[in-house]
Amino acid sequence: MPEILASVGQGFGVALQPLNLLACFIGVFIGTLVGVLPGIGPISAMSLLLPVTLSGTPEAGIIMMAGIYYGSMYGGSTTSILVNIPGEAASVVTCLDGHQMARQGRAGPALGMAALSSFIAGTLAIIALMFVAPALSRVAIAFGPAEYFSLMVLGLTLLAFLTQGAILKSLIMATAGGVIGLIGLDSITAQPRLTFDRLELFDGIGLVPLVMGLFGVAEVLTNIERRLSRDVIAARIGSLLPTRDDWRASAAPIGRGTVLGFLLGILPGGGAVIASFAAYALERRFSRDPGRFGRGAIEGVAAPEAANNAAAGGAFIPLMTLGIPPNVVMALLLGAFVVHGLQPGPLMMTQNAGLFWGIVASMYVGNVMLLVLNLPLIGMWVQLLRLPYNLLFPLILLFSIVGVYASQNNVFDIYVMIGFGLFGYLCRKFGYEPAPMVLGFVLGPMLENNLRKALILSQGELSGFLTRPISAACLLLAAALLVSATLPTLRRKRDAIALEEGG
Amino acid sequence: MRINAQAVAAAFWLSLAAFLIVAGRDLGIGSASEPGSGFLVFWGGVLIALFAAGMAVESVRGAPESLASLWKGARADRVLIVSAALAAYAVSLTTLGFLLATPPLMLVLLRVVDPVPWRQAVPIALGATLVVWWVLARLLAIQLPAGPLG
Repeated sequence: MPEILASVGQGFGVALQPLNLLACFIGVFIGTLVGVLPGIGPISAMSLLLPVTLSGTPEAGIIMMAGIYYGSMYGGSTTSILVNIPGEAASVVTCLDGHQMARQGRAGPALGMAALSSFIAGTLAIIALMFVAPALSRVAIAFGPAEYFSLMVLGLTLLAFLTQGAILKSLIMATAGGVIGLIGLDSITAQPRLTFDRLELFDGIGLVPLVMGLFGVAEVLTNIERRLSRDVIAARIGSLLPTRDDWRASAAPIGRGTVLGFLLGILPGGGAVIASFAAYALERRFSRDPGRFGRGAIEGVAAPEAANNAAAGGAFIPLMTLGIPPNVVMALLLGAFVVHGLQPGPLMMTQNAGLFWGIVASMYVGNVMLLVLNLPLIGMWVQLLRLPYNLLFPLILLFSIVGVYASQNNVFDIYVMIGFGLFGYLCRKFGYEPAPMVLGFVLGPMLENNLRKALILSQGELSGFLTRPISAACLLLAAALLVSATLPTLRRKRDAIALEEGG
Repeated sequence: MRINAQAVAAAFWLSLAAFLIVAGRDLGIGSASEPGSGFLVFWGGVLIALFAAGMAVESVRGAPESLASLWKGARADRVLIVSAALAAYAVSLTTLGFLLATPPLMLVLLRVVDPVPWRQAVPIALGATLVVWWVLARLLAIQLPAGPLG
């Protein structure tokens, strides 16, 4: 305990440096902004700003990127409540009761509860992160290539299992993403693979053009096909503070949402979207009067908002302790670590203690900033929501092009982005979710590296993966998930909770 | 003729799988104790082929969606215009440079899809180009294609 407190103190020393405070503020501000604006989410914003982080210190860059992520979780609720369009995917469920509350003249308490439950859950998740991360990193030191390989297989399977639509489609996307990740020089033999003799492909496909294409451009192409109707609540918002009755109704849902969200955030393949839906479903089950849900129940705002913020905190654990990103947003954060020459993993807490604890401490600071930003600035966000999409999408495309170009100073990346944009658009049309492809893309080279190392070490014995307990447990769990997806009863349950990740 | 949408998708994935299997074999699969460069490319292709075969079987069961129904009521022409404009922009960026290539792209996006009045479109196109150029080129010192103005 005293060790952790000393580390937290060291973290605050880093987080409170003026440059890092500014980075944190910029991150949470941009995060709230992209959370508020429908059609652009944290994934696009983080990809766009990844090159910008290169110009500063690693601490400032990563603190800013992290701020965008948890900031967007806050901002998304504003759009859900006032416009009935989720600002980002994790706020889909907040629309159900939040917008109903707004229509009943209770937009203020809905917005206030969304911000306050997010703050409470976000803070509790950071405290849990402080205790769980060091413990897990001690265990992770014993992980070998077989464990890493099996854990990544489990992560990809879990993501495919939880993603909306047919599991076969998700598995195809994850596998295709893995193969795309192998394009370029083989890390062991330096042999060019799938490069078609194009020099630009020798370094592989960049994460930024791939993500900007699959999420940013594809989202725009999907949106411009149909007119987005917006019904912004015009009435004055009034007091943002929830009443005593609101707090009484919401206290337990916030607690349950926080615990559930945090646990789902840690799981590879889990994340804020799944957490918010699961928390909503849980509250309906716990409620004495489930019929109130969907008609303006404040628990329907408090629980999912708490869950998605707690999940955002929990998601840092597998990245920081194992070096494995559990979702697309964390994959981008991994990219930010890598561009600064850092490798997250079990040794990070000892080799880069200042950075690790600085990020954790910046989340406390960021949560306070978000509370300050979200309550008084609601009016400004409402004005922003009135910005028509035909003005917004050309700017989103321009920023995407510029962000992609700036990441490598290479026009070829713009072609890659456009190609993946069209591919992503077609994927949406045909019911394929892009998230498994991105996670497959990031994990593909790591998975290959660990698989080849494990096979070489075991002299080609596949049983090596099953004789090591952690590896065997991960593979068995992955197999169980795949089998369960084919059973009709479980398939129906899965379809009920399956959700799109990212946005 | 009614074309089964999911069968089209399955055919695409099967073609990709075939390509990967051949490419993986050419790169060298190696052995289990010494996996080669094409090891995962090959097995990735095999996995995609298996999943796609499953998709193909599923696509003929039940009531398959037609290809045309995916675009029912959608303005696909807008998607084509925007994609073409982006591709033309990427091609012209190196020769024209950022400052000359960007305003026409912005004007196309602002005017063609869901027209913004000229009096708004022109200042937005020029203003956005200049602001982005100033932030990137001057503030962040990122080198943008200069074209004839360089």
